Amino acid sequence: MRQLPYLLAIREALAEEMARDESVFVLGEDVQQGAFFITTGLMQQFGPERVMDTPLSETAVAGACVGAAMAGYRPVADFMFADFMYIAGNEIINNAAKWRFIHAGKVDLPLVFLACIGGGARLGPEHSQCPESYIMHVPGLKLVVPSTPYDAKGLMKSAIRDDNPVVYFYHKRLLGVQGDVPEEDYTVPLGVADVKREGTDVTVVATSAMVHAALAVAGELEGRVSVEVIDPRTLEPLDIDTIVRSVQKTGRLVIADEDTKRCGVSAEIAMQVMEHAFDALDAPIQRVGAANLPIAAGYMEQYVLPQPKDLVTAIEAVTGRA
Amino acid sequence: MALDKEQLLTLYRNMLRARRVDETIVKGIAEGKTASFFHSGQGEEAVGVGGCTFLRDDDYVYAQHRGHGIAHVIGKGGSPRQFIAEHFGKCTGSCLGIAANHYVEPERGMLGGAGTIGSAFPLSLGWALAAKKRGAGQVVVCFFGDGASNRGTLHEAMNLATLWKLPIVYVCHNNLYAQFMPIRDAFPREDIADIAATYGIPGVVVDGQDVIAVHEAVQAAVARARAGDGPSLIECKTYRFRAHAEGIPDVSHADPRPPEEIEAWKRRDPIKLFAEKLVRQGVATQEELDRIDAEATAEIQEAERFALESPLPEPSLLDGMLYAG
Repeated sequence: MRQLPYLLAIREALAEEMARDESVFVLGEDVQQGAFFITTGLMQQFGPERVMDTPLSETAVAGACVGAAMAGYRPVADFMFADFMYIAGNEIINNAAKWRFIHAGKVDLPLVFLACIGGGARLGPEHSQCPESYIMHVPGLKLVVPSTPYDAKGLMKSAIRDDNPVVYFYHKRLLGVQGDVPEEDYTVPLGVADVKREGTDVTVVATSAMVHAALAVAGELEGRVSVEVIDPRTLEPLDIDTIVRSVQKTGRLVIADEDTKRCGVSAEIAMQVMEHAFDALDAPIQRVGAANLPIAAGYMEQYVLPQPKDLVTAIEAVTGRA
Repeated sequence: MALDKEQLLTLYRNMLRARRVDETIVKGIAEGKTASFFHSGQGEEAVGVGGCTFLRDDDYVYAQHRGHGIAHVIGKGGSPRQFIAEHFGKCTGSCLGIAANHYVEPERGMLGGAGTIGSAFPLSLGWALAAKKRGAGQVVVCFFGDGASNRGTLHEAMNLATLWKLPIVYVCHNNLYAQFMPIRDAFPREDIADIAATYGIPGVVVDGQDVIAVHEAVQAAVARARAGDGPSLIECKTYRFRAHAEGIPDVSHADPRPPEEIEAWKRRDPIKLFAEKLVRQGVATQEELDRIDAEATAEIQEAERFALESPLPEPSLLDGMLYAG
């Protein structure tokens, strides 16, 4: 099958959806160039009316997309760094997430909030965060965290076609990762986890870039520990059933998520597994995540972010196979 | 546009209807019939009614929160029944009782509102962007208070609306107070309309107690917006007759609002001023106006009865509201 890098898979999804539906447009700071090259070239293809550069106005960008969605369009708001979405917290958390509910389902908001998450580029605490748990906490926002080019393209199409606000977080460390992407049109549904690798001794639920770390560690441990790697792909809706079925098979769970551990996505997933499958657990759940610190810049970053060796340690702890 | 007699009486009728709805909800609060809080808009009816009554059905209106937008809703042709029922938390309310104070009617360009002051600017920017893209001549009228004018969102939205020449009319209800904060201590200039100069758009000050003055200023700005010439800002000098919200102290900072200030503004009640003008100019007799008042009162009494008799919503209704599809 054709191979594409993650970033081109996202761009291809945007281009195909813009060609398919004239109500789709992209709004954000420097989207005509594309800071992460996600939107590069779209302006030449679709024109400046549909790929609109904005000044540094995150609240206006977010609000304009929320408003335009209510008024019949399917905007994609590009925030560049997910860290910048905090600036538009009112528009995202108070307006977008609550609007349909409060207005009794009479107004739909089909829009995508697009942003880049994660560390690994040594850019410091306001350019490296993984704010998934903040978004996941808010009823009314769907949340997509693709880890492969195939998922990135298929989930972007589903996000754009969804009639609700969808937050789409791509990871900066995955931009160049190659993978299979079919030539024909396809979508990946929201709310369906993917078993990226089958195993019998321990379930590792990993999100976004941590999926790749989990797969690498699973490969290293092959023959010693059989690791099943599950990628939820979307955190809202969360496919807890697939996770629970896996835990019922393996009896052990490690959750790997790049956000700071405290109140992170891993805490929610762990608790849901406790609620649904406590009897299936043969050992306490282990979590792998960033230290409860801001993400340091430069060389110090590695001492805050979770490392593959942390995953090995956690797997050894739950399986008792050091 | 010059208004004929019927149109003038429509403005009068709409202000009265808005006042009667507001009074009904104020009374409902005292009688324990309402489901949530209420921020009376009595005294400011001329702004919403004058600004909305002669818009197109497909024009968008972002209502100002005072009176929870009743004057804007009525001006735009919305339903007092659904408005009151919503405030009474009933399933016949505009938002089926879930919001307990918002009004939504997408077919009439009312897409709802937010509880956070200053949300109006970015959201109505999006409505105006959609209107321009659609190219059907729709205009957005974004109402906001003097308090909202202090939010940074105003700058971001006005900057972009002007850059993109979006069809939007900003109408400020400057009622001199943001909850307990007097405007003189919140804004360094006399007129909020001065903000327009920053963006090079028209900024005018009108008497917010004069429904015709508001109507004429808004219609001029609407014509400019429809012609593709971009936004305008209209500041309406007005006043709220009651406290920020029912049941809380009516203060300026921590002191009572001056009674003589309140009395002076009540002498400039927009409904009273307009009635006097209509009679003085021979447009209508006092008898005609009294009949309109009786009709409005009867209509809103019936709306209150409808709301009181409506059932509460079923809790299971909530499950289908969060997501579409």
